[in-house]
Amino acid sequence: MEAKHDVLIVGAGCAGMRAAIEAFDAGADVAVISKIHPVRSHSGAAEGGINAALGNASEDNPENHAFDTVKGSDYLGDQDAIEILCNEAPGDVYQLEHWGAVFSRTDDGRIAQRPFGAAGEPRTAYAADITGHVLIQVLYEQMMKRDVAVYEEFFAWKLVLNDDRCQGVIAWDLLNGGLKSIGAKTVILATGGAGRLYQGTTNAYACTGDGMTMALRVGVGLKDMEMMQFHPTTLSPTGVLITEGCRGEGAYLLNADGERFLKRYAPNAMELASRDVISRAEQTEIDEGRGIDGNVLLDLRHLGAEKILERLHGTRELSMVFAGVDPIDEPIPVRPGAHYHMGGVDTDAWGRTSLTGLYAAGECACISVHGANRLGGNALMETITFGKRSGAHAADWALSHTTVEVPPSVEADSERELQALLDRSEGERPWSIRDELASTMHENFGVFRREEQMQEQGRTIERLRERYERVVVEDKGSVFNSDLTQALELGFLLELADCMVVSGIARKESRGAHARPDDYPARDDENFMRHTITTWVDGRPQLDWKPVTATKWQPMERKY
Amino acid sequence: MTEAAIETWRGPTMDVRLKIWRVDGETGERALKEYEIEAPEWACLLDVLDIVKDRQDGTLAYRKSCRMMICGSCGMRMDGRAVLACKERMKPIVDAGHVPVISAMGNLPILKDLVVDMEPFWSKMRAMKPWLQPGYEEPPVKERQVSQEQMNVIHKEALCINCGCCVSECNSMESDPEFLGPAALAKGMRFVGDARDGATIERLNDYNSEHGIWDCTRCYFCQERCPKGVDPRDAIAKLGAESIKAGITHDMGAKHAKWFVTSAKTTGWLRETELVPKTQGVVSSIKQMKFAMTLAKKGKVPPPFPPHVADDVKESRALYNLVKEQGRDGALGIVQGEHALGRIEFTEAGGVKVNDPEVLPGVEPPHAEG
Repeated sequence: MEAKHDVLIVGAGCAGMRAAIEAFDAGADVAVISKIHPVRSHSGAAEGGINAALGNASEDNPENHAFDTVKGSDYLGDQDAIEILCNEAPGDVYQLEHWGAVFSRTDDGRIAQRPFGAAGEPRTAYAADITGHVLIQVLYEQMMKRDVAVYEEFFAWKLVLNDDRCQGVIAWDLLNGGLKSIGAKTVILATGGAGRLYQGTTNAYACTGDGMTMALRVGVGLKDMEMMQFHPTTLSPTGVLITEGCRGEGAYLLNADGERFLKRYAPNAMELASRDVISRAEQTEIDEGRGIDGNVLLDLRHLGAEKILERLHGTRELSMVFAGVDPIDEPIPVRPGAHYHMGGVDTDAWGRTSLTGLYAAGECACISVHGANRLGGNALMETITFGKRSGAHAADWALSHTTVEVPPSVEADSERELQALLDRSEGERPWSIRDELASTMHENFGVFRREEQMQEQGRTIERLRERYERVVVEDKGSVFNSDLTQALELGFLLELADCMVVSGIARKESRGAHARPDDYPARDDENFMRHTITTWVDGRPQLDWKPVTATKWQPMERKY
Repeated sequence: MTEAAIETWRGPTMDVRLKIWRVDGETGERALKEYEIEAPEWACLLDVLDIVKDRQDGTLAYRKSCRMMICGSCGMRMDGRAVLACKERMKPIVDAGHVPVISAMGNLPILKDLVVDMEPFWSKMRAMKPWLQPGYEEPPVKERQVSQEQMNVIHKEALCINCGCCVSECNSMESDPEFLGPAALAKGMRFVGDARDGATIERLNDYNSEHGIWDCTRCYFCQERCPKGVDPRDAIAKLGAESIKAGITHDMGAKHAKWFVTSAKTTGWLRETELVPKTQGVVSSIKQMKFAMTLAKKGKVPPPFPPHVADDVKESRALYNLVKEQGRDGALGIVQGEHALGRIEFTEAGGVKVNDPEVLPGVEPPHAEG
C-alpha cells in the first residue's frame, strides 16, 4: 500500500473537487486521484450555466425549481433529493461566487440568470458560455489554496473490497508506470459520465464511465442506466456541444423548410421545452425527411452580432472551427447527440452507496435528482451540492473510524490480471471494438428505442465482450502508456452498455429519455414509476427495481 | 476496416502525411518518423494522431480529452509553433501538399513523444497564490455585487485553459527557466484585476521580484500563439501599469518604464542619456561611462545638456494629464484601449466583423449601451 487517507476521491471535476474541499475543511486527510489533471476534467466543457433560485432575474424560489425538476424528470426523480438540491442550491452558488467564480452580472451587479429549457423562471446563473470552465478554475484554485493532495494522471482501475467495506483504490500510474494501491477509509467516486459509449457525443474522450463500472464490479447497483440524455444541439459529425444558452437567449430551431417545427411538438415552450422533447422532435423531423443531411438548423441570426459576441462568444468560435459556420451569418446545423447519463451508481442524498465506505457524486451517481430527463443547468448544480454533501459525510464517517487495510492478495490479483493483459501479443487491438460499440449504440439505443433493435444490441454487446477477452495492448512500456488505459476504459464501457440495454428492454413504457414509439408510446405510472437497478452477477447484469420517492408532487401529464 | 469504422467516417476522406518527433520514454532517444494515413476531410490534428495510434502504432503518446478547445490537454507543436491539436484542421494543410512536423511543446521537459512534464508549469502557477483573497471571512449569505464592467477587466485572463502553449513559445523562459512566464502572470492579473480581491499590493510586490513581470522581453510570441485569446503579454503589461500606479517601482524594469513617461512629459522626447542612470542607478552608470563616451564621440547619443525640448511638448503633457485625470494610468487604460480596438472591428450596426477565427478570441466584444 502506497499511502493511506481518510477520504480518497476518484475524479477531479466539479463534484470531485467540491467534495475534496468540503472533506478537507472538515479536518480529514484528503487526496484526489484523477486520470487527467483536475482542470482538464469534462465539467469544464459545461457551457450554459448552473440552476439556483437566486431570484435575480425574476421572482423565484426553491419550490418552483423543485417542481420544474420533478416535472422535467418525468416523475422518475426522487423528490426528497430534488428538494435538498433546490433548497441548498442558492447558498452553494453564493459560496462559489465568494471563492471568486467569474459569473456574468446583472445591471445592478448581482449574478446574472438566463432562461433555460423547461424552467418556469430565468434561473440559470452563468458565466457567458463558459460556466463549467469558470467553476473548474475556481474549484482548482481553492484546492491549491488548501494544498489538497492530488494523484495526478493516476488511472483508477479497481476498488479495494475488504471486510465488507471499500478501503481504497488500485490505480495505474500513467507517468511512471506500475500499479499503486492507495488505502482510504472512504472512497468517493466522482468520475463523470460514459458518453463515449456513443459515436456522436458531447463527452470528452475521458468520459468512459470508470467509476460506475468499478462500483458495479464490487457488487454495488447501478440505477436507471437506460436513461441517457440526448442533447438537441450538437455539431455533426463529432458531437461537439452547442449550448442550450443559445435557445435561452432566443435562438430558433428550423427544419429544411425553414419552419419552427417545435410548434407541432411543444407549442407553448417552443425551443425552451425540455431536452428529451426537443431531441425527439428533431429526430422525427430528420427521420421524416425534413432534415438537412441528418441535421436541423439552429438559427441565431436574429439575435444580432452584439448579443452573439457578448454572451455566446465561445459558441461562435466552436461553430466556426468545427462546422465552418459563423452563426452571425448562417444557421448552425445541429442534431441530437449523447450528452448526459441520468443513471449511475445508486446512492442516497449523502452520496452513500450500499457498500460501507463507498460514495458517489456528480454524473457517475444517481441519487436521483434527474430521473428520466435532466434539465439544463441542473448538472453543474448537482455536482456542487452533492459533491459537498458526500465530502461532508465521508469525512465525518472517516474521522470516527480507524482502520484501513489493502490485503496483499488484492494487490497480487490485480498485478496478475494486468500482466496477463500486457503479456498477450496475439489478438485484436481495442479500437475496432470501441468504434463498433459506439456506432451500434447510436443506431440501436439512441433517441428512439425499439424492442428488436435493443435485443440486437444485447447480442452485439455479447459478441464485442467476447472479442474484448482477446484484446491486445501494443504498448508494453511504463511511461504514459495510454494504449493500456484505453483498453481498460473499453472494458468499463462494455459492461455499462450491457446494463443499459438490459434496463432499457425491461422498461416497457416511454418516460423521459427512454422513448419506445412503436410498442409502448405512453408513460405507465402504475407499473414503471420506479427505478431500474442493475447489479453484476456471474458476468451478466441482473435487473431489479426500486421505488421512487414522492413527497409533494403527484404525477401529471407532461406538456411544454 | 470494420463496417463501424466506415460508418464513423461517412463522407469524403483524404490522405494525410505527417512527421512526428518520437521520444522514447525510457531512454529519451529521439527519432523523426513519417506516417501516412487516410482520414475524414473534417479531421483535425488530434483525429489524425488518433488514427495513427489506432491503426499504425499503439505506442504513440499524447494527451487529449475534450476535443473542443476547453480542457487544454492537447498542446503540442506543429511545424515549430504551439497549437491545440483539436483546433488545427488538416484539410488546408493536405490541400497545400504540406507534410507538417509534430513535436512536443517547448520549455517543458519531454516525458515521451508529445507528452511533456507540466509540473514546472503548475509550480509557477502555484507561486502566484492563485486564489481569491477577499480579505474577509464573512459567510456567503448573498453574492458580492460587482458591475459587469469591473468583471470585464479580467475577461480575457479568465479564458485561460492552462494548455501551456504560451509557455512553450516564451523566449524569456528559454534563457531564464525560472521566469514566471505568461500563463502564471496572466493568472496573476486575473486576481489583481478582480475588484473582489484584497491582496493587490502583496501580489504586485511578489510579481515584481526576480523572474517576475519585468523579465518579459515583450516578444509577443505568447500572445500570438495563445489558442484562447487570453493575450498574456497584455496581462503582463497590465501588471506593470498597476505596479507603477501603486508605486511599486523598485525593479529596473519599472524604473525604465517610468523614465519613458517622465521624459516624454518633460521634453516630448526620450532623454536617452539619462535613461541608464534612472534605470540602473548611478554606480552602474559610472561603470558604463567609457562605453557612453565612445558612443558620444561617434555621435550616437545627443549631449544631455541642455535637454532638447520638442516644439509640441504641450501636447505630450496634455496627454499625460488626461490619462491621469481619467484614471487610465493602471490596467484599466490598457483594458479600455483593447475595447476601443475591438470596437473598430465592429461598426455601429454590428454588421462588419473579423472573419478569421484565429483573430476572433482576442477581440473584446462591444458592450451594450449604458
